[in-house]
Amino acid sequence: MTANPVRRKTLAMRPWDWAFPPRPVAHREVLSALPDPPTDRPPLLMVHGIAHGAWCFGENWVPAAARAGWPAYALSLRGHAGSGGARHLRRTLMRDYVHDVMQTITELPEPPVLIGHSMGALIAQLVADRYPLRGLVLLTPAPLHSAMGDLVAIARDRPADLGRALVGRTLSMEPDILFEGLDPATARAYSDRTGTESPLVQWELLLRRRVGPVRCPVLVIGTPGDRLVRPADVERTAESYGVEPVWFPGMGHDVMLDAGWDRVLDTVLAFAADLPAWGTAAVR
Amino acid sequence: MVGAGPHGLAALKALLQNGIEADGFERESDVGGNWNFGADNSRVYESTHLISSKPFTQYPDFPMPDSYPDYPSHRQVKEYFRRYADHFGLRARIRFSSDVVDAVPVDDGRAWDVTARDRGTGVETTYRYAGLVVANGHNWSPKRPAYPGIEDFRGKVIHSADYKDADVLRGRRVLVVGAGNTGCDVAVEAAQNATHTWHSTRRGYYYNPKYLTGRPSDQVADGLLALRVPLAVRRVLFSASLRFAVGDLTSFGLKKPDHKFFETHPIVNQQLVYYVSHGDITPVDDVERFDADGAVFTDGSRADVDLVVLCTGYLVSVPFLQHEWLNWDDDHPQLFLQMFTPRFDNLVVTGLIQPDSGQWTLAHWQGVLAARVAEALRRHPSTARAFLSRAGAEAGRRYSAGAQYKDSTRHYYEVAHQDYLRALQDAIRELEAPA
Ligand SMILES: Cc1cc2nc3c(=O)[nH]c(=O)nc-3n(C[C@H](O)[C@H](O)[C@H](O)COP(=O)(O)OP(=O)(O)OC[C@H]3O[C@@H](n4cnc5c(N)ncnc54)[C@H](O)[C@@H]3O)c2cc1C
Repeated sequence: MTANPVRRKTLAMRPWDWAFPPRPVAHREVLSALPDPPTDRPPLLMVHGIAHGAWCFGENWVPAAARAGWPAYALSLRGHAGSGGARHLRRTLMRDYVHDVMQTITELPEPPVLIGHSMGALIAQLVADRYPLRGLVLLTPAPLHSAMGDLVAIARDRPADLGRALVGRTLSMEPDILFEGLDPATARAYSDRTGTESPLVQWELLLRRRVGPVRCPVLVIGTPGDRLVRPADVERTAESYGVEPVWFPGMGHDVMLDAGWDRVLDTVLAFAADLPAWGTAAVR
Repeated sequence: MVGAGPHGLAALKALLQNGIEADGFERESDVGGNWNFGADNSRVYESTHLISSKPFTQYPDFPMPDSYPDYPSHRQVKEYFRRYADHFGLRARIRFSSDVVDAVPVDDGRAWDVTARDRGTGVETTYRYAGLVVANGHNWSPKRPAYPGIEDFRGKVIHSADYKDADVLRGRRVLVVGAGNTGCDVAVEAAQNATHTWHSTRRGYYYNPKYLTGRPSDQVADGLLALRVPLAVRRVLFSASLRFAVGDLTSFGLKKPDHKFFETHPIVNQQLVYYVSHGDITPVDDVERFDADGAVFTDGSRADVDLVVLCTGYLVSVPFLQHEWLNWDDDHPQLFLQMFTPRFDNLVVTGLIQPDSGQWTLAHWQGVLAARVAEALRRHPSTARAFLSRAGAEAGRRYSAGAQYKDSTRHYYEVAHQDYLRALQDAIRELEAPA
């Protein structure tokens, strides 16, 4: 465990948050499905990645998790899918997204297991830095240690896409980038549902973030053939939490939609079922 | 854990979150402390709104809803604390209507015997704990100066502790004593409801507006701090903005401040000067004595009044603990980081602070520090002992960010919020990195 020499130190001073709090957004889309009859399991809150929306979890995971006995919620970040704020998307920062997730969390009856995908997984890690989650699940996560390596990989793989990002356009969400196992029509349909991303947030993915110790259990999931987040970065993220990533070969970046999503969800639910009661987790 | 106000809740949550078994005691039937309007110990009144805006006031891990305004009302604040308690499952860990009447160290100070009286049945029960966290608040025990002649005064005298709404002011000639935030609020309400209002203050103050450049003024101040603008420059900027917006206060008959900006607890009140300028409030000197019909002031002037509202502040009171255990000196405890007594490792006070901004970000981190100390005492006792051994030497140290506070009981607990928070952060990091 030498790859991440950064010591995590508690960060109490957040002067920019106090001086320039994120602006509220008029409407937040939250999809949900609750188990019937109710159970005493903690809620699962899912946060999507670049240019996606709550729908990517709403397709399969939210209803399936509820059927399995878990209160399941998925949020659309501001400027995405059914949430407000599209007009201000070009001025939106990562901290605005963190704010949206925090607002959603405080509306839940108890601390959730937070599930973040890709950019949403970076947001989830920033949330874990300020809020005592029950558990943290990172799906093909954008790294805290800067996505520069991923950008270089993208530049080699598809130079045109890098050019688009450089001029502030959204990274390509073509079907072959997101999926490996879906039939072409379904893959195309999902790809067509993706929208635009804030250019500033895309740039922010390249920053290196400093965070404090995370005290909740963490699960990291990756796919070996991922075309957006390099497996090496997934590994490094997992290592920084002292865990081994769980790999799903044969799947694309969008593990909640690609063929095999149910196996990934099973892994997540098994992790969640094993979580210690709130407050008894060991110090990391 | 004694008290389920903002500080008690944060401490209880931090302890539980770190796997430390803890119970709370609260004499009222609900959480919220000072913000539990109508409770014996609550000192908010019908019209109370926060004077600090949301970002620093709220708990950092539980932001207030976006639907709340910049300065929420006491009702919204209470609702906020209830949701916090429910969200983190704290209610089940609190004994409500349970008044802690006594706490004594036993077993050579390794444990505390805490006696609580059930307010319904009057039955007293004693429980044993390995540690004690005191969060009973310091804004409830009224400070009443002894004025000569007050027993001859035929009108009514109340303390702001008993002030709940403007009804008592209606149609009366009212003297408001004291220019804390409560005193200024009450003076403004009196101006709107009473026949006439006199406002007696010991010194001149800066009356800060709630907004500057369209943004809550504490956020503007925090912006300057984020940019590391030095104290002298911030003083100039803030004095200049007041001079530009309001001008020389003495031209309204108000006293000239006898101190520099940031040397007293900030008063946030935009309306006081307005009512003074409209003649509804007459600013007067310090009260020298009372007589049958009213008050005589130090400059020899007098006012005939029939109601006096003493907004003269509150005293710290921890009736269930002996003073020496809290390293008490004169009328306040001398503590390390305003939390730890040199006398015991397992006795912590939270909430004995008065920040120049919102309070619950500090409440949160005080709670985290209390939990880290408890955890370190168990897992790395040498780190914990090294930390706590400084309690004696550093007891009573002030966190004023360079300003010299005006000496008065009111400022014993004053802290510059960012200076103090940085000290808490350093302490937490020290305990996180066992040698
Ligand atoms: C009018 C007014 C306006 C204010 N405005 C602001 C503001 O805008 N922003 C801000 O940050 N702060 C403000 N404050 C400061 C406010 O007091 C603190 O923010 C906060 O309420 C203090 O919390 P606490 O938990 O330390 O004490 P409290 O809120 O006083 O809570 C103490 C609790 O302990 C309980 N208790 C006491 N003794 C015992 C016992 N022996 N046994 C069992 N239970 C006991 C009490 O019932 C109470 O519930 C204001 C205060 C006042 C009076």
